[in-house]
Amino acid sequence: MTDEITPELFEHLVELAAFAFDPKEADYLRRELNNQLKAIHQLEAVPIDPEVPLASHGVTYTTQGKPALREDVWEPCDNPEDILAQAPQVEDGYFIVPDIPHTELE
Amino acid sequence: MTEYEAIIGLETHIQLNTTTKIFCGCKADSWEDPPNTNICPVCTGLPGVLPVLNEAAVRKGALLAAAMHSEIRLTSYFDRKNYFYPDLPKGYQISQYDLALGRGGYMDLPMPDGGIRRVNIAKLHLEEDAGKTKYEKGVRYVDFNRCGVPLVEMVTGPDLRSADEAAQYLIRLRQLLRWLCVSEANMEKGHLRCDANVSIRPVGSTALNTKTEIKNVNSIEAVRTAINKEIERQVALVESGGRVRAWTLDWDDAHQRLTKMRSKETEADYRYFKEPDLLPIELTAEWRDEIVESLPELPLERRARFMEEYDLPEYDADILTSDRPISEYFERAVSAYGGDPKVVSNWIMNEILRMLNDLGIAANELILTPEHLAQVIKLVDNGTINNATGKAVLAKVQETGMAPGAIVAEEGLAQVSDDSALQAVIDRLLAANPAEVSSYRGGKEGLLSWFIGQVMRETRGKADPQLTRELLQEALKDSK
Amino acid sequence: MSILNDSALAIAKKIQNGELSAVELLEAALEHINTVDGRPGTLDDGDPTDEDRTKVHAFITLTQERAYQQAKAIDARVKAGERLGPLSGVPITVKDIFCVKDTPSTAASRILANFIAPYTATPVERLESAGAITLGKVNLDEFTYGSSTESSAFQPSTRNPWDTSRVPGGSSGGSTASVAAGEALLSLGTDTAGSIRQPAAFCGVVGLKPTYGRVSRYGLIAFGSSLDCPGPVARDVGDAALMLSVMSGADRRDSTAARVTVPDYLESLDRGVEGMRIGLSPDYMQITFPDPETGEFRKQSLPVEIREATLRAAEVLAKQGVEIVEGVPMPNMVYGIPAYFVISRVEAASNLHRFDGVKYGYRTESDFEDLREMYRKTRAEGFGLQPKLRILMGMYVSAAQYSEQYYQRALQVRSMIRSDFDAAFDPEGTYRLDALLTPTTPTTAFKMGDVYGDSVLMQYADQLTVPANHAGIPGISIPAGLDGEGLPIGVQLLAQDFKEEILFRAGYAFELGTADAAWRQVQPEVLKAGKGTSS
Repeated sequence: MTDEITPELFEHLVELAAFAFDPKEADYLRRELNNQLKAIHQLEAVPIDPEVPLASHGVTYTTQGKPALREDVWEPCDNPEDILAQAPQVEDGYFIVPDIPHTELE
Repeated sequence: MTEYEAIIGLETHIQLNTTTKIFCGCKADSWEDPPNTNICPVCTGLPGVLPVLNEAAVRKGALLAAAMHSEIRLTSYFDRKNYFYPDLPKGYQISQYDLALGRGGYMDLPMPDGGIRRVNIAKLHLEEDAGKTKYEKGVRYVDFNRCGVPLVEMVTGPDLRSADEAAQYLIRLRQLLRWLCVSEANMEKGHLRCDANVSIRPVGSTALNTKTEIKNVNSIEAVRTAINKEIERQVALVESGGRVRAWTLDWDDAHQRLTKMRSKETEADYRYFKEPDLLPIELTAEWRDEIVESLPELPLERRARFMEEYDLPEYDADILTSDRPISEYFERAVSAYGGDPKVVSNWIMNEILRMLNDLGIAANELILTPEHLAQVIKLVDNGTINNATGKAVLAKVQETGMAPGAIVAEEGLAQVSDDSALQAVIDRLLAANPAEVSSYRGGKEGLLSWFIGQVMRETRGKADPQLTRELLQEALKDSK
Repeated sequence: MSILNDSALAIAKKIQNGELSAVELLEAALEHINTVDGRPGTLDDGDPTDEDRTKVHAFITLTQERAYQQAKAIDARVKAGERLGPLSGVPITVKDIFCVKDTPSTAASRILANFIAPYTATPVERLESAGAITLGKVNLDEFTYGSSTESSAFQPSTRNPWDTSRVPGGSSGGSTASVAAGEALLSLGTDTAGSIRQPAAFCGVVGLKPTYGRVSRYGLIAFGSSLDCPGPVARDVGDAALMLSVMSGADRRDSTAARVTVPDYLESLDRGVEGMRIGLSPDYMQITFPDPETGEFRKQSLPVEIREATLRAAEVLAKQGVEIVEGVPMPNMVYGIPAYFVISRVEAASNLHRFDGVKYGYRTESDFEDLREMYRKTRAEGFGLQPKLRILMGMYVSAAQYSEQYYQRALQVRSMIRSDFDAAFDPEGTYRLDALLTPTTPTTAFKMGDVYGDSVLMQYADQLTVPANHAGIPGISIPAGLDGEGLPIGVQLLAQDFKEEILFRAGYAFELGTADAAWRQVQPEVLKAGKGTSS
């Protein structure tokens, strides 16, 4: 029986997730995922009336219960330097990252 | 030789001029700020943070939607658009996918031949801006000051047919944005960004062929040039038997050329899903109706009305509606003046616009009010001052804030229209310049201007020009 | 001075009236921690020694200096005659999934091991404003993905104070263990599929998942944004009620925190349960799961001891005037797990996108040529197995071509689960319940290393707790006895949105009705004489 998540599809998922695995780890993860799919497949068997709404949240928010939108008033953060201090690489106040891979062709 | 037509669609990102960002309380305008100083945990995507929607962003977005004849959805949702990029701190952009704020819409673009090009709006939604990156010394520098600024993304259908039309659309859009006060729309500052989708097809065909996307065009001229070059390229390619591929192209303004960027980021599955950290935007019908009702007369509407109501040529109407303050200035001046609107138009086009340009302000910031202008025009009309003096008085009103009449009186600028006084000046002048008089009488009629100029000098500019001319011509006619 | 015997409520009062010094209490707590906790979890070699195996290991970071500052300030203010907050001087622990300013806030992951939060989560802020002393950040499953705390990158992971060869449950294992072991009086945990209630049941303490939106999520490192709920862990219902009353309420920084008045939970606590209608559902007395071989659905009854503990609890409540309503159908709860798998993984994969080595946290130390390579290596090295699996699965079920099949359906199933509760709680319906009484878990605490988190039965163990997360309703787990091996059994009460007050009243009544029960006299292993107690 072919696995639902084939090695090619798995590679695609790895790409989407910005991971990199050696073949052993990749194989292990792919098998685990296929195992877990069984639970998820249950969903397909559930008889769902097409009228049933999609619920992003279980609770219902009433008009009063809903938080109000934010007023357009400036509230500066009092410690932006602490945020910058967490960066792996900083220079002149900028976050530094390696360049994005691209080649320019005519 | 096949004739081709170009099919162009524009995708614009409009930076709203709210005070704060869309999901946090940092400033929306940080143009002058040092990098990474206008940031907070929310707009830098720190672990554990949550977005909180800015009501002004919704309001301005809705106003723009209404002005674009778009239906404002009473319930709209935010969605996450997931991808990796260093200027996107959360690794997803909060945007709107299928149930966005605006639905449909159009702009009717006046064409040079007098017709209308209806440009349909396929998408109109709110989203957050990303940060900025720059490439230097082999690495990327990332600044999140701009990250989270509210944007409206507007995508047209493939309705434009030339680079010029595309440029026109952007010009009209920019005008509209400023008119509504929802965006400064300064393309150099990135308030209005544009990507162009371009394809070609043989004239007569109705199919849509593969299109390319041109990114990074940062001025109206760049849009025009880039699109024209791409059309050329595609035509040449197809003519030589090639096939247009769905490339993403980058406009290199420095070298005025298109380059192809091959980046893995362009093929992304964004895996859109409803943003669980935000509740749906729920607007009441009353609120929406208020927004629609609050729409001012739009620039193209006003332009048409000026042509109709004030009998102005298209050229004038265009200039007088180039921005809202000047159009309002014009109307107030016409109302105060009570005479021929074209006269007012001329004064504004010639004098007021130059003044605004020199001072770098908008018409509503002038100390010289439309009523003042009307007064000056009337003073010239009834001969109290001449044209040149009138122009000078305008400047003085702007400088001092005094009423024109008061200035004229105080500085004794009233025109010299007294026949005898003028005659005396003229007689003295002719007596003092016999050589020029002979030259004139000998056929050099151009010297009349010189004589007029001299009279003006003598009277310190106050001579009635018309009367001066008449009297001079009379005086110079007499041969002795 | 032992903090083991007084409630948070009582302690705060003693501190307020000067009977107790916050600094002395803190020192007693620290001494006790020193005795029972053993070494904190770290990224380095976590192979447990024999000594390790007898300790609790609740902590990742002990914020000792900070706690001293807080305690000194409290004592100073008492001395100055100031009126303090309702949690003055009460020592608490915080699950290390919350950002606390200037403390390492790690999510128990290598990828955040070096992250010092520049801001504090709202629930923690509120607790500390009320006078609570934060002892430190406690351990959890990495990014809360797990039910045993074993998947933490900070080892040794937490052990169950009742039997240190067993797990405390998860993902809030450090929270429940620290309270059960008397190290703190209260702990702040999170519940996404049962991650407060299950470890509370395993550790014999009270754990509440509030209504979604009752407590602000600002500062909670997100897993399942539509499911996550910060909640209290305490030794008794009164303390849980006290803690919730301090934390709850709208927050300008959380658009999903509801603007609903926070009732005085303490005031209503002893109102009694006369006339309350509490239901029992046969659907909650079993686990329904697909056979690993055939894929067909099987129903497995819960162990006798657990079912009986639930029925006994019903009896205790009935004696106090509750009307027990049997046979309440909750047919859609069986779909809770697959729907949860999909929804949580879609949200988790997206929430974890931000860990990319650009702005904070771990960045790979190996060489990389470009940005893409940096991303890949950072994420592959920084995340443990569980996050990797969840992220990949999340990518799969949300990928454009599968989204309708999986994600959309899951959101519909959520509606269906919710409708079961709406029907049960409907004041004009058949059952008109105030609450539903169920077991919390299908087993008691299992042995460490026993289950790898992916076997089918293990996946389905959250079946009893996850429906409340889908529906958003509140649920509480309260200790209800011990099994044949002396391990705690928890029972669960579920109520309507924002009706935590019902849960507290019923829980309190149950405590009163079992106050003399023999099992309440039994202490966790680590507290028994000779294992190091303070008295």
